[in-house]
Amino acid sequence: MYRYDEFDALFVRERAEQFRGQVARRLAGELTEDEFKPLRLMNGLYLQLHSYMLRIAIPYGTLSARQLRKLGYIARKYDRGYGHFTTRQNLQLHWSQLPQVPDMLVDLAEVEMHCLQTSGNCVRNISADHFAGAADDEIEDPRILSEILRQWSTLHPEFSFLPRKFKIAVSGSAADRAAIMVHDIGIQIVRNNQGETGYRVFVGGGLGRTPFIGHEVGSFVAKADILAFVEAIMRVYNESGRRDNIHKARIKILVHQIGADEMRKRVEREFEEIRQSGALQLPEQEMQRIAAYFRPPDFEGLSHISPEFEHAQKTDVAFANWVKTNVHPHRMPGYAIATISLKPIGQTPGDCSSDQMEALADLMDEFGQPEIRVTHEQNLVLPHLRKRDLFALWRKLDALELGTANHGLVTDIISCPGLDYCDLANARSINIAQEIARRFADLQRQHDLGELKIKISGCINACGHHHVGHIGILGVDRKGVENYQILLGGSGAEDASLGEILGPGFDSEGIADAVENVVATYTQLRHGGERLLDTYRRVGPAPFKERLYAR
Amino acid sequence: MMPQVLTANRLSVGEVVYWNAAKGWVRHLHEAEVLADDKAEDVLKGAGVRSVQERQVVGVYLFEVRVKDGSIVPVKTRETIRAAGPSARRDLGKQAD
Repeated sequence: MYRYDEFDALFVRERAEQFRGQVARRLAGELTEDEFKPLRLMNGLYLQLHSYMLRIAIPYGTLSARQLRKLGYIARKYDRGYGHFTTRQNLQLHWSQLPQVPDMLVDLAEVEMHCLQTSGNCVRNISADHFAGAADDEIEDPRILSEILRQWSTLHPEFSFLPRKFKIAVSGSAADRAAIMVHDIGIQIVRNNQGETGYRVFVGGGLGRTPFIGHEVGSFVAKADILAFVEAIMRVYNESGRRDNIHKARIKILVHQIGADEMRKRVEREFEEIRQSGALQLPEQEMQRIAAYFRPPDFEGLSHISPEFEHAQKTDVAFANWVKTNVHPHRMPGYAIATISLKPIGQTPGDCSSDQMEALADLMDEFGQPEIRVTHEQNLVLPHLRKRDLFALWRKLDALELGTANHGLVTDIISCPGLDYCDLANARSINIAQEIARRFADLQRQHDLGELKIKISGCINACGHHHVGHIGILGVDRKGVENYQILLGGSGAEDASLGEILGPGFDSEGIADAVENVVATYTQLRHGGERLLDTYRRVGPAPFKERLYAR
Repeated sequence: MMPQVLTANRLSVGEVVYWNAAKGWVRHLHEAEVLADDKAEDVLKGAGVRSVQERQVVGVYLFEVRVKDGSIVPVKTRETIRAAGPSARRDLGKQAD
């Protein structure tokens, strides 16, 4: 993984000390809240319902065992012994106390971590495919470009006061596991007919109150040109993005207003100007230097078939079920990728205790895993496992309540913290996720339903990605009462689409029944192995509406 | 119009607190002072603003309540959750006291 150089290390340490001074001045009355708020937000510190919330950046979702252990330690020492992994691959601690936050930042800096770019109108923490470096369909590790973009964007003076926040995601495969189509900029690593790798660039995707799927603005940007190209997009946005209305300030609104063709023209014009000046060419040597940090571990020459692994699947049904959904093909023979579900039935999606973090770090050491990944679907991933180790690993995960076999199934629900924690929320999401998961807990039934992604947001800001759920649920406040709308037909993958609201919402007692009715309608109508999403795309909303709103 | 309660978070530790003219900022909703609707705004502008200036609290605002059998019941779920703690974690927040 990437290691800080002396400048990075000094910078994050200095930032922690700067913030210590700022907190002291706030508590001494030298700074008002209006003056202090932008400073705390620059360090990922929000005021939420019950306390301060610290949002810790996990660049491209990669953590070492040392870092994960430290996160567990910080959550226990300063917070309430757990953290919440988010759809932006970050970790949130919801019970932080202002005087202790500088110490938390110092502790984070010790393991090359920080809270930079987790708030404010800047380029936010870059997210990437959680199977990076391991996926069998990968062209190139997306974290190399993500790290380059991180170094380029951190404290970039031209892009520190954008009209609004700016989110970038990178995928190294045709399969989109990073939701690139719903980011301000989505980058897909592609290979052309000459066998060269380059970048396909999308702009103007996003969720929130006005959701859009991104538009392609570059079909094949040469590697050396990518910073110039991204800078061209940022310049068009910085110049023309609206600053008069916070709800219309994201780049997606600009793209929608001027049209994708005009956006493309403006980006190309700006790109040409930057390119002619020759200022922003990415040197091959620098790219190689950064790539070296993401070199995969030394793989053993293993056979595709592991007899131990095959035997364990035949003799242990629970393990076989876990393998079915949570184990994925690796690019090296004899290896596999494993998803560690943070969605045990009835628990809070994405939550992980300090004990679990520390135990996982120990397992990483025991099974020779230098890295663990955080997914935007609020799970964790061990990317480079020997197949022969999977059974032993799973038994240990299961003992930690981390062995749930539900990845991609109906109980693998994305949920924002909602009104249980969040200052912006209008309705709770966690309790709805828990209730739905309990209803569908039967694993046989989950397998029968196949891939089915439910995503829940407690307000229109859509941190729970409800627009791109196969079933999306949006919590709203209806005359002081929590009410839930159902959307169908969304996808955040390579077949990206936005879900459509079916009709009037349901109260908190009725929403799980409504989801059951949607699923029942699907099972009646589906052809063969169709997913709910496929059935919906084929038949449209009418039969679902009929069933849901039948009198 | 409904009676109201003045609330905020402690500047330092972030904890949810409520205003009571006799006791100052208190931790529990049942200790809060229920303010008649026509007086509430004055308390916000007086004690509320002063407490922010004195750096006791941050994010001060009023919310609506009903008084039922002597207990204070917030109109909105948001305030029920702030008063108790996360409904998804009964072991956390004031509900765990």
